[in-house]
Amino acid sequence: MFRHTALRFWTLGLVAAAAVLRVLTAEYFGLELVAEIAILAILVIALDMVAGFGGMVSLCHGALMGAGAYGYAMLTVKAGLAPPAAFAGAVAITGAAAWAIGAVCGRSQGIYFIMATLAFGQMAYSIVFEQPAFGGDDGMSGVPRIDLSLIGVDLNDPRSFAFFCLLLLGGVYWFATHVLQAGLGRTLTGIMHNEQRMRALGVNVWRIKADMFGLSGMIAAVAGALAAQHVMFVSPGLLNWTVSGEALVVVILGGLGTIIGPVIGAIAFVMLKHEISAHTDYWHLFVGVILIAVVMSRANGIFGWVEQRLSRARKVTAGDAIDAQGRTDAAGTRARDDA
Amino acid sequence: MLETRGLSKRFGAVHVTRDVSLRLQRGERRVILGPNGAGKTTLFNQLVGETRPDAGQILLAGEDVTGLTVQARARRGLSRSYQRNTLFDGLTVEENLGLAAAVAHGHWHSIRHDSLTRHDVRDTVREVAEQLRLMPHLHARVGDVSYGVRRQLEVAVALATRPLVLLMDEPTSGVGPEMSRGFHDLLNDLPRDLTLLIIEHDMDLAFAVADSITVLNHGEVVFDGSPEDARGSRLLKDIYLGHWADA
Amino acid sequence: MQGDLGFWVLQGLNALQLSMLLFLLSVGLTVIFGLMHFVNLAHGALYAFGAYAAATAGAALGFWGGLLIAPLAVAALGVLLYLGCIRRMRRAGPMAQVLVTFGLIFVMLDLTRIVWGAQALSAPVPAVLDGRVAVLGVEYPAYRLFVIALGLAIWGALALVLNRTQIGAMIRAGVDNDQMAACMGIDVERMFFVVFCVGCALAGLAGAVAAPILSVTPDMGLQILVPTLIVIVIGGLGSLNGAVAGSLIYGAVQTFGAVLFPQLASILIYGLLAAVLILRPAGLFPARG
Repeated sequence: MFRHTALRFWTLGLVAAAAVLRVLTAEYFGLELVAEIAILAILVIALDMVAGFGGMVSLCHGALMGAGAYGYAMLTVKAGLAPPAAFAGAVAITGAAAWAIGAVCGRSQGIYFIMATLAFGQMAYSIVFEQPAFGGDDGMSGVPRIDLSLIGVDLNDPRSFAFFCLLLLGGVYWFATHVLQAGLGRTLTGIMHNEQRMRALGVNVWRIKADMFGLSGMIAAVAGALAAQHVMFVSPGLLNWTVSGEALVVVILGGLGTIIGPVIGAIAFVMLKHEISAHTDYWHLFVGVILIAVVMSRANGIFGWVEQRLSRARKVTAGDAIDAQGRTDAAGTRARDDA
Repeated sequence: MLETRGLSKRFGAVHVTRDVSLRLQRGERRVILGPNGAGKTTLFNQLVGETRPDAGQILLAGEDVTGLTVQARARRGLSRSYQRNTLFDGLTVEENLGLAAAVAHGHWHSIRHDSLTRHDVRDTVREVAEQLRLMPHLHARVGDVSYGVRRQLEVAVALATRPLVLLMDEPTSGVGPEMSRGFHDLLNDLPRDLTLLIIEHDMDLAFAVADSITVLNHGEVVFDGSPEDARGSRLLKDIYLGHWADA
Repeated sequence: MQGDLGFWVLQGLNALQLSMLLFLLSVGLTVIFGLMHFVNLAHGALYAFGAYAAATAGAALGFWGGLLIAPLAVAALGVLLYLGCIRRMRRAGPMAQVLVTFGLIFVMLDLTRIVWGAQALSAPVPAVLDGRVAVLGVEYPAYRLFVIALGLAIWGALALVLNRTQIGAMIRAGVDNDQMAACMGIDVERMFFVVFCVGCALAGLAGAVAAPILSVTPDMGLQILVPTLIVIVIGGLGSLNGAVAGSLIYGAVQTFGAVLFPQLASILIYGLLAAVLILRPAGLFPARG
């Protein structure tokens, strides 16, 4: 059950302050990095909403992000819509598609759910790759950024764009935590813990799963529409299942089911990627090793590890029963229940 | 309030329920007795919709619910507890009750309000927790409380949906005789207009609580009547109650 | 052209050849899942490793040497993987397994690039099979017929082992109910290890026979993984017959789809998969009743 603990508040504040400071002081490359991190963070928040609180390990979130990117690109470049309308349109279309995917896949469990989402993601990839209307292998270029000149902001300026991304990330963070603390999120968490009992209580399980998956898809589409504006170009590679896999890696790296954890995971992931890529071509080797180490250590990622450490320290000093300890136990139970 | 007509279900060659017809009045408290394998739990599963009957009808408050899903029946006021604890182990006692109460008050799919902090949900949680003596454990994680408390919570969660009919599958299964007597008091404290259908092995509890008794054997209703008649019944003694009636 | 027999024979053989390749890959994966509910996404990477091993060994020892060495090399790698991490992930739940084996994909992808470089390797077709054979009036490459024959032979051998031998009966018991099998005195863990190694060897064999047809690249494992997963989900996780049926369906839909409805070819198979997941969530031939 999602809670805003003091640690989470402080971490959030620290991340926000550091990000703002970075945007104010950084040069071009640093600003690009901030935008990249913010976009990835939005995507992994979307994934954590369903994976961390509903046990819905999706391998189609990359495709949903790609749908958002292509939706935005198609609506601006091909349909000639104004960018803000295209943004809203892309989010709405992707949300509807995600709702449908959630409604269909929500009936299956565990590995079948993973496979089913993988299938839908790859289906989207094939459609984009093979239909000439989407530009095929070449993708589409000339994607415009939203025009905010009315309020005196030029998003073609990297600093403004980085700010814009951060602002949306903040909004997404607020929205995601709000939904998770509302009835929908609470009920979804209940379903993850015990689906049969939730049904016996009168909960329409597939509907809850579909609704949350739809909301998650809308957030993924925000990430996609931002990504399209960031590089002003879309290509089918965005929808590939490995993108979904990487997003899952980031969620796990940061701490599943904590929302702020995956944001930290996104920061760590992008920074590491740039650091390691500067020295070697074999960046995936490092990601792979880190991922295996994190999963096999059974810690809940960076943030989960810190939470656990702190709660343990407090337990020793104060001697009280700590709920964060319970949460990691619950994560363990969840992993076993999935089997 | 709850009625079944000719409910039948077979698994392969075995009739687990055969032509079961029951009729519960509003506020009636009925205990179902029967040896292991008599089809009691399967009857519950059919009543709430977890198992489909091969034939027969189920009526809840006069409405035919035979074709409805588990969740649709639950929202119409049919709630159950399980013989084996079926709780949300990682969550606190309060959260367990809150999830159920949120359904009762229609906040379970809201994306605007926190279902657990709504005043109507909190009131229900408090009320049910008091009824089932769970107040001292409200903030404990379910995994950390004793087995007996979890048995109470199992019933409390079912009750927090504010049902018309509550089905309890061996609420005292696995608890000691002392706790069992405590349960007797708990059940007597429940609202009188709530219809109860209880599967129970503990004879003392059964006869202390029941307005009426149904006995199942090999999936068939072999006795249906008042506790007084049940005590005097020769048939019951033969099938099941031998040692109790002799005592 | 579509009306004549030759077209159907040709495409039928193409479909069968693709099916048999997928069968070699999917059968190991599906039985590993059926036995232990273990999801090994790195199965495709093992196949790629097999292709590289075959190409490298083949350069020194000839095609047949490569075909023999590749399965052994991949099985050896499988032993390492098993001892290193898979054994510990056995009871960790599907998400952890998916993630660990996803990590293995990354690691093995870059390791192959480090060892063999990013350039595509080619493996020659052996001289004996380097011609064409007339089948029902169609000239068809002999090597592809060999792939079909090999796939059918392996299928036959596996069916024989699974249905007629003691170990086969034990495996079937394990797939059906591993706890019960353990109670009956079957060492499920050891059986899993053996099956895992055989599955790896078959993946290596698939890589070796695919090497001369496809070009050998580091990402060939990634490319084959999704089709393999589709095959086992359509067929039903854990069953030999499911792997065969899934492979044949995939091969047919993909091959005929590509020539008859080129616009829809790849969407067709995903649509079929979605339909199976909705209508028969356990696949067409589930291993358990």
